[in-house]
Amino acid sequence: MELELGLALPGGDLIAELGLASEKSTSMCRKRGFDDMFCRATSPPLFVQKDGDDDDGDDDDSRFNHLQELNLGSRVLVGWPPVRVSRRKSEEGGKRRVNCVKVNMEGVAIGRKVDLSLHDSYQALFLTLSQMFPKKQHDGEESDAAYYKVTYEDEDGDWMLVGDVPWEAFIL
Amino acid sequence: MVGGFRWAAMFPDEVWEHVFSFLPADADRNAAALVCRAWYRLERRSRWRVFVGNCYAVEPAAAVRRFPEVRAAAIKGKPHFADFNLVPSDWGGGAEAWVEAMAEGWPHLEELRLKRMVVSDDCLELIARCFKNFKVLSLVSCEGFSTAGLAAIAANCRYLRELDLHENEVEDNCLHWMSHFPESCTSLVTLNIACLEGEVNVSVLERLIGRCPNLKTLRLNHSVPLERLVGLLHRAPQLVDLGTGKYAAQHHPELFSRLESAIAGCKNLKGLSGFWEAGPTFLPAIYSVCEGLTSLNLSYATIQGPELIKLISRCKNLQRLWVMDLIEDEGLIAVAASCKLLQELRVFPSDPYGAAQPISLTEHGLVAISAGCPMLHSVLYFCRQMTNAALLTVAKNCPNFTCFRLCIMEPHTPDYITRQPLDAGFSAIVESCKHLRRLSLSGLLTDLVFKSIGASANRLEMLSVAFAGDGDAGLHYILSGCKNLRKLEIRDCPFGDKPLLDNAAKLETMRSLWMSSCSVTLGACRQLARKMPLLNVEVINERKRGLPLELQPDNCPVEKLYIYRTVAGPRSDTPSCVWILR
Repeated sequence: MELELGLALPGGDLIAELGLASEKSTSMCRKRGFDDMFCRATSPPLFVQKDGDDDDGDDDDSRFNHLQELNLGSRVLVGWPPVRVSRRKSEEGGKRRVNCVKVNMEGVAIGRKVDLSLHDSYQALFLTLSQMFPKKQHDGEESDAAYYKVTYEDEDGDWMLVGDVPWEAFIL
Repeated sequence: MVGGFRWAAMFPDEVWEHVFSFLPADADRNAAALVCRAWYRLERRSRWRVFVGNCYAVEPAAAVRRFPEVRAAAIKGKPHFADFNLVPSDWGGGAEAWVEAMAEGWPHLEELRLKRMVVSDDCLELIARCFKNFKVLSLVSCEGFSTAGLAAIAANCRYLRELDLHENEVEDNCLHWMSHFPESCTSLVTLNIACLEGEVNVSVLERLIGRCPNLKTLRLNHSVPLERLVGLLHRAPQLVDLGTGKYAAQHHPELFSRLESAIAGCKNLKGLSGFWEAGPTFLPAIYSVCEGLTSLNLSYATIQGPELIKLISRCKNLQRLWVMDLIEDEGLIAVAASCKLLQELRVFPSDPYGAAQPISLTEHGLVAISAGCPMLHSVLYFCRQMTNAALLTVAKNCPNFTCFRLCIMEPHTPDYITRQPLDAGFSAIVESCKHLRRLSLSGLLTDLVFKSIGASANRLEMLSVAFAGDGDAGLHYILSGCKNLRKLEIRDCPFGDKPLLDNAAKLETMRSLWMSSCSVTLGACRQLARKMPLLNVEVINERKRGLPLELQPDNCPVEKLYIYRTVAGPRSDTPSCVWILR
């Protein structure tokens, strides 16, 4: 199933609204964000799906296939793009290997993607998550951010509480 | 001169020298020197600063002879495309010839700035030994030296004020080079070691900066841990420009608060850079100085958009911002709202080779900045998509651009909405921005854009072209227009012999022309070299193809071509892959 980006509020049948990916909605989608928004029919509690970090192929619809082609289809060109050798070296040295995980929140139709390699601690991750999924107000009372638990699915398919293992072990 | 009256003798020489001291610009001094022999003689004895844009344009001895009182020299070597590995590593640009001539003729030299040159340790030792009053050494994008050479500078230059090492390739063979600064060295104003890859003895550094009360600029390398930054800042609270070392550590509330207070203690801080491996944890430690910052370089920090926004929104007085494309459109919109004094923006690609997830940095970010920042005049922008409409808007919003460099990372990318070439967009830029001095093109472009550039870009001095144009007409438009063009660099364009030969005279009015992977033949280069004795026509063919170049036929294609004007004739230090045609 091709997953579509929607600009509507969470909930509702976004796929039906958008219909097949038209050119117009595709370019609108491209404006909105990168491959971090998609719909799910069911919304389990806030969880981090670790096995999803490498299969970008599943999530990317035709819009991002286009972008990926631009990046991967080109032959190797010397000195292009014109980025200085020193800058490239430092990027490699910084060991910035992208480590993306999908995050869904209970009651929110649209999930997000988080790059763990850009965070250095659980605190930083929770900060990002709290910004991505802002507190909703139910009947005037403020929900406590601490009310939500963050869980992840490990290799064995078990749901674990995020924060149990040291950060360095978690991101591996 | 009127009749035979030698009006220059109206005043004693000292008066004229005093008059000339009010002419700092080289162009004005050059003009004065042409008025009469007396002025030529007087001007040359009073010029104390020289800039040599191409180290091979003049013999070092000739330059030293003409201007005997020089105190400050700046010299550039390799062509700009050397930054991107397009120039063979042994091409040239060695500094020895210059340093030897200067040691001989300018013993009072105080400042030396070299860019894209090969500087050996022997050169550094010569500098350290021969110039008794040496104060400023600036090496930008150089290579060929090691920390042993730096040790010689540290040990012998008693009045050293600036050691500015920017993006050099430095071999690390002398771990304790900084210990060679004697206790008597207290004069440092600038110390920039950001490009060094090796370990730095932070205790030695602490003692050094502790005894240099005038230190204004300190840029550390990534080996200096965050914990030690605190101690360094305590010893140099007067800093105006700070480059941090590694900006990451185990999260520790105590370290955070010590760092925060150390940074807050630097009341004069205007510039920040470094931030290697920075994550969100320690970024808030700099919040207290954000309001005073005029320059912020986060281009080595892989921080995500939201954190960048929180930081940059506090920098209301920012004039220069260098950042990674992780800032995305949303971040640039926030910059446009907060940084109303922004003059220069550079957005670098976090992932130039496109393996990671796509970043949402598009034409919208650029348009937002152009609309929100009225003082913007210099842009470097790496992105993956663009439209003519966006460029038209940018051109309308920013008629004051002096430098516009747009790099759409995939070659031949058209306007992604209309699928048209980006001719209209770039034409709008050159037609609107009457003060444009530097332009880099990208995306799908036909000869039409060159027609506009040739006709409208009257102040353009440097043009970079890649994967553009349809044929010879494109290059002809540029060479027959662009009155003030000094440097032209072209790669992978279908430009051939005819526009070069038709515009040979133009090449003598420029500093240099680089063409690689174009359609130029050896025959045209031979013709050009014969016709223009004041040009060095360098043909660079790295692939050895049987016959040596002298015996190749005229229709042999030229891989890389570098043409520059010179009064020094052909250079004698060419490697085997470079032929200078006469």
